[in-house]
Amino acid sequence: MSGRSSGWAASSALLLPAAAFFLAFALGPMAAAVYISFLDWDGVSAPRWIGLGNWAHAFTDSLTLRSLFLTAQVMILSWAIQTPVSLLLGVFLAGYQRYRAVLGAFYFLPLLFSAVAIGLIWSSSMLSADGALNTFLRSVGLGFAAQDWLGDPDLALYAVIAVIAWQFIPFHTLLYQAGARQIPRVLYEAARIDGAGTLQQFFYITLPQLKYTVVTSTVLILTGSLTYFDVIYVMTGGGPGFATRVLPLHMYITAFQNAQIGYGSAIAVILAVAGVALSLFLLRVTGFGRMESQAEGL
Amino acid sequence: MTRDVLTRRDFLRVGGAASLAVVLAGCSFGTGQQRSGGAGGNGATIWDISTGEQQEFIRSMVEEFNSSHDVSVSVQFFQNDPYKNKLRTAMGAGNPPDIFYGWGGGVLKSYVDAGKVHALPESLDTGRFFASVMEGVTFGGKTYGVPIMGTQPVLFYYNREIFQEHGLEPPDTWSGLLDAVRALRREGITPIALAGQNKWTSMMYEEYLVDRIGGPGPFQGVLNGEPDAWSDPAFIRANTMIQELVSMGAFPSNFASLNYDTGQSTQLLYTGEAAMQLMGAWDYQAILTNAPEFIRSGKLGWFAFPRVEGGEGDPKNAVGNLTNFYSISEASEAKEVALTFFEDAVMNEAWVNGLLDIGLVPPVEGIERKLRSQENSDWLTFVYELARQAPHYTLSWDQALPPRAAQALLTNLDRLFLREITPRQFSENMNEAMGL
Amino acid sequence: MVAAGRSARAERAAKPPRAGRLRANPAPLLLGLVWFVVAFYPVYYMFITSLRTQAGFLSGSLWMPPSNPTLENYAGVIEDGIGLYFLNSAFVTAVSVALIVAVSFLAAYAIARIRSGVARAAFKVFLLGLAIPLQAAIIPIYVLIVHIGLYDTLYGLIPPQVAFGIPLTVLILVNFIRDIPNELYDSMVLDGSGHLRMMWNLVLPLSRPALITVVIYNALQVWNNFLFPLILTQSSNIQTLPLALQQFQGQYGVNVPGLMAAVFLSVLPVMVLYLIARRQLLGGLTAGFGK
Repeated sequence: MSGRSSGWAASSALLLPAAAFFLAFALGPMAAAVYISFLDWDGVSAPRWIGLGNWAHAFTDSLTLRSLFLTAQVMILSWAIQTPVSLLLGVFLAGYQRYRAVLGAFYFLPLLFSAVAIGLIWSSSMLSADGALNTFLRSVGLGFAAQDWLGDPDLALYAVIAVIAWQFIPFHTLLYQAGARQIPRVLYEAARIDGAGTLQQFFYITLPQLKYTVVTSTVLILTGSLTYFDVIYVMTGGGPGFATRVLPLHMYITAFQNAQIGYGSAIAVILAVAGVALSLFLLRVTGFGRMESQAEGL
Repeated sequence: MTRDVLTRRDFLRVGGAASLAVVLAGCSFGTGQQRSGGAGGNGATIWDISTGEQQEFIRSMVEEFNSSHDVSVSVQFFQNDPYKNKLRTAMGAGNPPDIFYGWGGGVLKSYVDAGKVHALPESLDTGRFFASVMEGVTFGGKTYGVPIMGTQPVLFYYNREIFQEHGLEPPDTWSGLLDAVRALRREGITPIALAGQNKWTSMMYEEYLVDRIGGPGPFQGVLNGEPDAWSDPAFIRANTMIQELVSMGAFPSNFASLNYDTGQSTQLLYTGEAAMQLMGAWDYQAILTNAPEFIRSGKLGWFAFPRVEGGEGDPKNAVGNLTNFYSISEASEAKEVALTFFEDAVMNEAWVNGLLDIGLVPPVEGIERKLRSQENSDWLTFVYELARQAPHYTLSWDQALPPRAAQALLTNLDRLFLREITPRQFSENMNEAMGL
Repeated sequence: MVAAGRSARAERAAKPPRAGRLRANPAPLLLGLVWFVVAFYPVYYMFITSLRTQAGFLSGSLWMPPSNPTLENYAGVIEDGIGLYFLNSAFVTAVSVALIVAVSFLAAYAIARIRSGVARAAFKVFLLGLAIPLQAAIIPIYVLIVHIGLYDTLYGLIPPQVAFGIPLTVLILVNFIRDIPNELYDSMVLDGSGHLRMMWNLVLPLSRPALITVVIYNALQVWNNFLFPLILTQSSNIQTLPLALQQFQGQYGVNVPGLMAAVFLSVLPVMVLYLIARRQLLGGLTAGFGK
């Protein structure tokens, strides 16, 4: 007897604190966001009910549409950059050679930094006009390539994507390292006996065996990219102009800087729906029954 | 054994943290300054954005007041743009400072309408100030602020040395300005510094051009809520001229990422990298603080915004900040202290003299003689007369308009300057944003 | 074969030993070194910049530390009150993590062990929370916090942090508790233990690895969180470290060395922890994703 007959009473009591916090400060607010999106409110005066007004605006507002487009770009490019690099690094670090462990120690360090710290390091000392990157280019005679990385509307988005990749590659490297270390060695033994070279082993054994990790990592990157806020806010604030105004930033600026709390809430709901829809879609497509978190972007 | 110890330690950790929280709640740890009542709990808090010498001026005013009274005030300074958001958020959260800095106009009015600003008592005599300036804080017959800074029209600053080197004269027509821009570009000098990140910096061009082309009427139409007000030809023409100016390369190539609040654009002017900047009179202080040599050696010059050939507007009209005001929050629990501060520290001769000392022009009638005896008298007199003689003195649009419209204006101006939208789209967007 | 000599590690799956091949294939090492530079150089550059004066920064070398390093930037940052922000962050983190782990543990026990209908439903609800981005709920959270009078306090930062930390923590703990063999429970049931005793004496001690994992994971999340302090506080005396850093950026402007000193101080605690307990930290970070 495992106490199942007193099941619901005991479990309710035990679940109560967590449920209370969660409903009051996470799920409840999420539902309230929908309600607020039907209001016209500047945060100071009294709110006004306008029904679907904000929603109509959202679908015709070129700024919001552009924000969605920017977010999609970030999503795709982030995946395209972070996945191969993390995979290769993870496989590299899966080896138990001492020097690899040493290198690994350095690779993983930035994982612990706050997004603000990372954003400041890159925007102030690396990518600024007199920053390390430009200074380096000038010193090797590539001065013409020195750009205003974060101030040029055409470059800013890519610079931001690059920094985000730098921020999260260590995390995914850890995943791939763990995944690669679980590959049974006998597979490689058998392949070697059959005369397979290193590259062939990689493509025919390593990659297929890492499928689960690729899926996990992909889900995290794609859903996480919807929540990249801190780094971008600190580096560009959504600018220059609107060049890096991805959806979370657009929501923040609209609600808290442009005093359009109702409209900002509508954008927030779009963000949430996109996140949930994406998660469900990916789960369906990959056949995995477990919902992964969007904690990467937090 | 280890297990037991561990579980108890875990429990203690949780319990300890919880009881610590209870204890600390008793003291003021963890509570924002605002709520614990600023200066020792019985004073008034002021939020201000002044920098450099203006900040010094405010601080000494506060110190002077505190040492001669048994109540006290404390002042906190913020950067301009973050301040506007912070104030609005604080108002909305019911947590505003007792005294807050502002510009009057539609933004203040929106706070007044929401019941967040305390109406000043009739006993407070504001008769000495320019009537045109007090208009900015008078709504429904009541006054909601007192001037704290000088009057600050917008004008062109220029580098006399660069102009002389290249045989240029301060232009008094728009085409003259364009000629100067072309000549400077040929010489490889950035013609005009512009901090595009702040957007209100770009707005000044719009304000003046529209006024020069069509007088104050078109914008007044917007303020009155007339249908399609933004489609007035004056706006279209002004915006076309703005985009022409941008295409000519009049501004630094990275203007979109330059920030005025950190002094980046003004720096271009006094380091000789740019020849001009269109900016408000407050910038004089920034230059005085950061590069006094530039002023002392006579390199800094100024001229009023040129007239536009064929325009209807009076070339003597001015645009800018009428002045800056201190207002009292309705939610304040230290209103008496605030009022005493106004009466004793702000509205007196010491204040007038203090402003003059730092090169600011108090919007006060009858001080011409004082101005002439000051060290920067040519600057002071220029600004004073510019403000005083302006047939029409328009308040900066982002303050004159209600906040939502102001934000829409700034956003669209940003896109206009980045040449992402056409003048026609600008007008359409603005009409739509304001429901006109 | 070379592999024969490594029979001790034969069970551990690893990439085929390439001791011999390594000499013939320097590519991995080279790429590894390239990434080492990419990954670590910015951190290194931040550090040496923090030791320069402002003028020194503009003319400073990219690779070598300054010849006359100065600590004036650090002095300046400490004077500007960075100690208070550390305290604020520590407070919020300690209380939040304690609450997250405590309530999640109770909930996880109910879900993994009692398995009533209520528990199953709650589990699904918590999982739903995994998909909600922080930013989507922040506006109503702001309104709520203002409403209950906790705006502009450190205490107001805690409930939302707890709420958003619960889903993943519950997930990890549930997975772990599920693995505890039933026999251990059964023997305690025979003794007449109720749920509380079973939690306290059996599950809690056994869950230690998972608890450490979630403590570390949540501590890092809360410590580094930026959005909640940004929106839910306004006074400078209750800024947490990430917010304070961002404010330093506005304050320091072009004083890059000063800013880098602030950044370095802010990451120093985690770096020290990293040196001491790297494996636990990294384990905590990937908190169950790797499985």
